[in-house]
Amino acid sequence: MFFTYLRRELRRRRKAALVVASGLALGIALVIIVSSVSSGMSKAQDKVLESLYGLGTDMTVTKAAAAQGSGGTGRPRFEFDAQDDEDATQSTDRVMVQGFQTLAAGIVGKVGKQDGVADAVGGLSLTVMKVDGQFQRGEFKQDESSGTQGGPGGGQGGGGQPQGRVEGGGASFDVNSFTVYGTDVTQQDLGPLTSSTITGGRTFKAAETDAEVAVVDAAYAKEKELAVDETVTISGTTYTIVGIATADSGDASANVYIPLKQAQTVADSKDKVTTVYVKAADSQQIDTVKAAIQKNISGTTVTTSADLAETVSGSLSTASDLASSVGKWLSIAVLTAAFLVAGLLTSSAVSRRVREFGTLKALGWKSGRVTRQVVGEALVNGLMGGVLGIAIGLAGAYAVTAVSPTLTAQLGATGGGGGMGGGGGPMGGGGPGRQTAARTLDIALTAPVYLTTILVAVGLAVAGGLVAGAFGGWRASRLRPADALRRVA
Amino acid sequence: MYQLKGVTKRYMRGKNPVDALAGVDLTIEDGGRLVIQGPTGGGKSTLLQMLGGLDRPTSGTIELDGVDLARLPESRLTKVRAESIGFVFQSFNLIPTLTAQENVETALVPLGLGAKARRERAAEALESVGLGDRPTHLPGEMSGGQQQRVAIARALVKRPKVLLADEPTGNLDESMRDEIMDLLDGLWKEHGLTFVMVTHDSSLARKAPRVATIRKGKVTVTENAAA
Repeated sequence: MFFTYLRRELRRRRKAALVVASGLALGIALVIIVSSVSSGMSKAQDKVLESLYGLGTDMTVTKAAAAQGSGGTGRPRFEFDAQDDEDATQSTDRVMVQGFQTLAAGIVGKVGKQDGVADAVGGLSLTVMKVDGQFQRGEFKQDESSGTQGGPGGGQGGGGQPQGRVEGGGASFDVNSFTVYGTDVTQQDLGPLTSSTITGGRTFKAAETDAEVAVVDAAYAKEKELAVDETVTISGTTYTIVGIATADSGDASANVYIPLKQAQTVADSKDKVTTVYVKAADSQQIDTVKAAIQKNISGTTVTTSADLAETVSGSLSTASDLASSVGKWLSIAVLTAAFLVAGLLTSSAVSRRVREFGTLKALGWKSGRVTRQVVGEALVNGLMGGVLGIAIGLAGAYAVTAVSPTLTAQLGATGGGGGMGGGGGPMGGGGPGRQTAARTLDIALTAPVYLTTILVAVGLAVAGGLVAGAFGGWRASRLRPADALRRVA
Repeated sequence: MYQLKGVTKRYMRGKNPVDALAGVDLTIEDGGRLVIQGPTGGGKSTLLQMLGGLDRPTSGTIELDGVDLARLPESRLTKVRAESIGFVFQSFNLIPTLTAQENVETALVPLGLGAKARRERAAEALESVGLGDRPTHLPGEMSGGQQQRVAIARALVKRPKVLLADEPTGNLDESMRDEIMDLLDGLWKEHGLTFVMVTHDSSLARKAPRVATIRKGKVTVTENAAA
């Protein structure tokens, strides 16, 4: 009888049922879309952070760069020989520690021994600037009127000196800049290389601590037409490419990866690292571990993923803020309104059914049974709204994923940020000073819908039904049969 | 048997108290038939509601088989209504979305009968009021007389001791009125019910063995030996 009565009543009042269900559906759909877009934002941010940190890294330890000194130290300087050999090609490169001052490699062990630290590994980030090209001599041309041969020189002479001018000559140089990351080949489960997948050749072997081998980022390899078994030269040392790494996020942390010891050698930074990558034993204790490291190892900057996330700017950040503020409040407002409308409509429906419920009570139906009938109808309305809302929400999330709007994330544009600066642009992060170079990434936004989101939606639908049922049920339970029958007499 | 002693029901109309019933003493024997008459607003329906346990008096006692309905807790009063009292209303009060059979079944729901037993008893009840062939009709698909027959079947399907009818023919034309009254009389006799009916219709009152007339909350009972 319960279900028959319920079904018939819902069918009779299908317009009102549709209004209630649609309101709840709108709220629930908004919750799903906002939640899935937020998840997508979070995923995008994670991708951005992973591209810097690598998988599994909870924080980095760096030494913030000192302020720019008056001597101009650290500014790249190139020297070329003044050779007589006309048109000879000249080449030179500079290897610079990227972004930060270096830390003693011993810090890595010290960090690793801190409470709550599961693993710590050091790395050295470098920027290599290679300049190559040639000087061309100018050619002296004598004025036809003077008839006198002169040596090289520019200006016009007088008094019987040869008259003429230098034509042509100059210099043509290419500047090629790329980033190099010295990785600890004995601990490859932590650090930037973990955010890339080896798609050609192999990764480093644990024994290759000082081998002249390199893994090259796929995008860089494509640009420079490099392949496995070919070579790349850094500051005069030739490295054999053993593998090609494709960054999971599409933007690699470095162009070239070489063993840490090799990086220290080419940068003349023996036993130095720029960054210590730290994995905490418990992801809930990251702040405690950060505090411990900062307290026990002075002169270092500890940057967690959360710290780094705060430096994210650009459209990703704007969209993320929108999703978390406007989206969240809009969802809450719509849901609250939907709950209220559902409650009021149910309550009003009970008012219109006073005689019906009064009659049932006169027939011996307990108040609880009448209330259950009202709540049951409201609950089914809520569930219908839930199903509709989930369908709309899934469609919305699917549409967002299908369109995949591209968001731009700028990272580390402020001082104190961790990770590696400079994604390969000239001079990226190479200069000393507190400011690290901004790193810009394009991320395609997706809107993943998780089972928990669906469960929350179902919960909201049930809650909406119960709220509406509570309004109506409360009214129905308070109806006295005599009053109900008297009012319609 | 009903025994009412000093039953008073006082309402407040604005700031003024109004006694719908003013110290009513009344006895209705088991199997008896009583017609309640009186002017509009005289307290007829109020008295019927007191008898049916739908409302409580301000003072006095309403005993049904020795149990004072005025003092009974709500849950037990609901049980009395469910088991012992059948109601027939002027406006039929059928659930518009339920079929004739389902409407009759609603009276059996509080008794906790299974679906099959409910169906069988509802079908029997519909048969007894001459609607055995219309179990699946909705109220909107039936005439007023047919709807009142369904309402009578609903009132009797639980096999009550008491049948209370509030203007059962008030919304029917004359021929239909006689038809329904004949049905009610037949069922009263057949089931040995205690039958109390409120009516404005003097022709119906003349046929009743006892008539209670209510004026200004006071009841006067007259016996009608000719009925």
